[in-house]
Amino acid sequence: MAAPGLTPNGVQATLAGDLNLKPVVQVLDLRSIAVNGPPGSGTRYRAVVSDGVAATSAMFATQLCDIARSGVIRRGAIVQLVDYTVNNTNGRRFVVVLNLEVLVPECEIIGNPIIPPELGVSIPNSTRVDHFNGAPRHGPAAGSTLNTMTRSSDSAPVMHRSMAGNSSNMATRPHDNASVFQPTVQPPYRPAPNYRNHGTIMKNDAPARIIPINALNPYQGRWAIKARVTAKGEIRRYNNSKGGGKVFSFDLLDSDGGEIKVTCFNALVDRFYDAVEVGKVYIVSRGSLKPAKKDYNHLNNEWEIFLESQSTIELCPDENSSIPAQRFNFTSIDKIEDAQNNAILDVIGVVTSVNPTVTVQRKNGMETQKRVITLKDMSGRSVEVTMWGEFCNREGLQLQEMVECGAFPVLAVKAGKVNDYSGKSVGTISSSKLFIDPDLPEAHSLRQWFDCGGRDASTQSISRDVTPAASRNEIRKTVAQIKDENLGLGDKPDWVTVKAAVIFLKTDSFYYTACPNVVGDRQCNKKVTKADSGNWLCDKCNQEFPECDYRYLLQLQIQDHSGTTWATAFQETAQELLGCSARELSTLKENEDPRYTEILIQCLYQDYLLRLKVKEESYGDERRVKNTVAKVERVDPVAESKFLLHGISTLTASY
Amino acid sequence: MDTSSPSAFVNGETLKMFVGRRVRTVVQVQGFEGGMLVGQSTDGHRLTIKGAMDVPVSHFMEVCGIAESNQSIHADVCTDFGTNFDPVPFNGLCKLANDKFKHLFL
Repeated sequence: MAAPGLTPNGVQATLAGDLNLKPVVQVLDLRSIAVNGPPGSGTRYRAVVSDGVAATSAMFATQLCDIARSGVIRRGAIVQLVDYTVNNTNGRRFVVVLNLEVLVPECEIIGNPIIPPELGVSIPNSTRVDHFNGAPRHGPAAGSTLNTMTRSSDSAPVMHRSMAGNSSNMATRPHDNASVFQPTVQPPYRPAPNYRNHGTIMKNDAPARIIPINALNPYQGRWAIKARVTAKGEIRRYNNSKGGGKVFSFDLLDSDGGEIKVTCFNALVDRFYDAVEVGKVYIVSRGSLKPAKKDYNHLNNEWEIFLESQSTIELCPDENSSIPAQRFNFTSIDKIEDAQNNAILDVIGVVTSVNPTVTVQRKNGMETQKRVITLKDMSGRSVEVTMWGEFCNREGLQLQEMVECGAFPVLAVKAGKVNDYSGKSVGTISSSKLFIDPDLPEAHSLRQWFDCGGRDASTQSISRDVTPAASRNEIRKTVAQIKDENLGLGDKPDWVTVKAAVIFLKTDSFYYTACPNVVGDRQCNKKVTKADSGNWLCDKCNQEFPECDYRYLLQLQIQDHSGTTWATAFQETAQELLGCSARELSTLKENEDPRYTEILIQCLYQDYLLRLKVKEESYGDERRVKNTVAKVERVDPVAESKFLLHGISTLTASY
Repeated sequence: MDTSSPSAFVNGETLKMFVGRRVRTVVQVQGFEGGMLVGQSTDGHRLTIKGAMDVPVSHFMEVCGIAESNQSIHADVCTDFGTNFDPVPFNGLCKLANDKFKHLFL
């Protein structure tokens, strides 16, 4: 096989800085070097490559080390340097190879390369070259011996030069036409001192090539990306076992649509926080790549970038068109209904209503703002979008004004979180972004659909629990089945519907005194105790109130044809059953008013459809299954008849 | 309770099975023709009721009596059910009562 020609003057030209030459060179030597560099880069491979005339040192980037280790590249191999840079350290220049292509796996040494002495490659020019110039076709034979030689040298982890030792050997074996250069007996490992400062790629100052974000991976070696900042987080302070610190992140999007999150800590926060602005394009280089933490990172990339002290961020002032400002992946509202709780997604729709901001108290006692709006899209569904914190006053206010004027803006939400508390709704999180009337094709088609009739189209909300009975996935059970089927014993409560009559109401204590304090959008309702002053004291709100609220806590027995069981009805359901408030009923009871008994009796022995929450709970040491009445409905004979007819037809279908 | 002559639940379709026998059905009053009440059965058949009382049009009416033909009933008792009546469950009942579950009824 004809060996492809080595690029004339390839080495000189490359060292001079021609990075586009892609020279074809021959590997004269290949050895591994232990290196102190960033963690994970324990071994580097260094080759000596020649263009037939001159030779130079070439360091392999980490991604090539596997190839080098495998023996695909060997001494004598002819390779084309595809991606490379030139490093200049301590006055010495050498090549750093990022990517190469093996053209000929092995070949006789071509030409008569002059190797700088410090490279210490033991190629006996005189003997070898003369010989091979005269006898060109020893390919296979050379190959086999070369193989063995290379194999043996590969087995030793570090090949090394041994000039003195070799020369004598070589001198004695000049006639061995199969040998290219002698492998020699391996003296014990001595780290080559000359290469200490050639070790790490980190010192390479040549500009890295820009690669697409989607090509980034931790084995990449040096990389640079050019991307637009699509989101920038706030500086967050944290405390952990190692002390405290601060962190901030921002998201990048490049022209290929690749996205990645960039994070930096502590001192780097100070350096980069002000430099990075949303919407501007930067070239980011020399960060480290780690697997993305999916809990905090919702971008579609398995890696994230962590900036380090040698990282660079350079502003590109002229870039405006090739990189889009945002990248969306919208889910239509009807698909959100099937989404998992806590899933992160993008959604776009027309704002049909904006509720006022309310202040709510979080579990940690802090207060925050909350605002609910309704979005409607072409799937015929609507969804509630909850805005938290700053969004309420910023975008929320703007949306409210627009809706009040009769304009129904299009809103795009990026990175909203699905919540399945009541139907399915979408809430904002810290990394969410809201866009009002964005210039997107989806927005335009929504606008057109809405204005041309979509506005009046009937919609079904996926955010409400009040779905029509037909689509409500009610499970009908009998009282006996609650026990027989061991309902309520799992991790989650079981929700069933039972058609039963109330046969007994426990009246010794059917209410408790509750805290009337309104916190955020709901009442506290915690049990209050009477203080010495005569006021009612709430432990949670830490306040006293002259008047308390009376709330139902009603124990009742329900019965159907299969059995009897106890259930508890709270304020709303008990009031529905009895038809009067707890305070009224207690007043009637105190006054021994005959209406008291009437009210109680009238609800007995009536068939109700009761939606029960069945769950096992602990009472001290005991575990008991408790039934809570979540909803009370009088049986509607028509609906019930249809239900029964359907049931009968299902049952009889089998015979 | 006198169970000597039970009345079968019928609709327009099943009436013919009980000609000459006691039946009971519910019709929606549509009008009067020649002294006889015309009503629509729960399955859309046109039935004639003889001897019926005055029940306003579009009200539902239960009729108990002898089936004279497969389209007419000679009424003994009529009851005004008003307008709040859904014919679908009744129709379902009639079908089940005369078919699979006859043994439960007669």
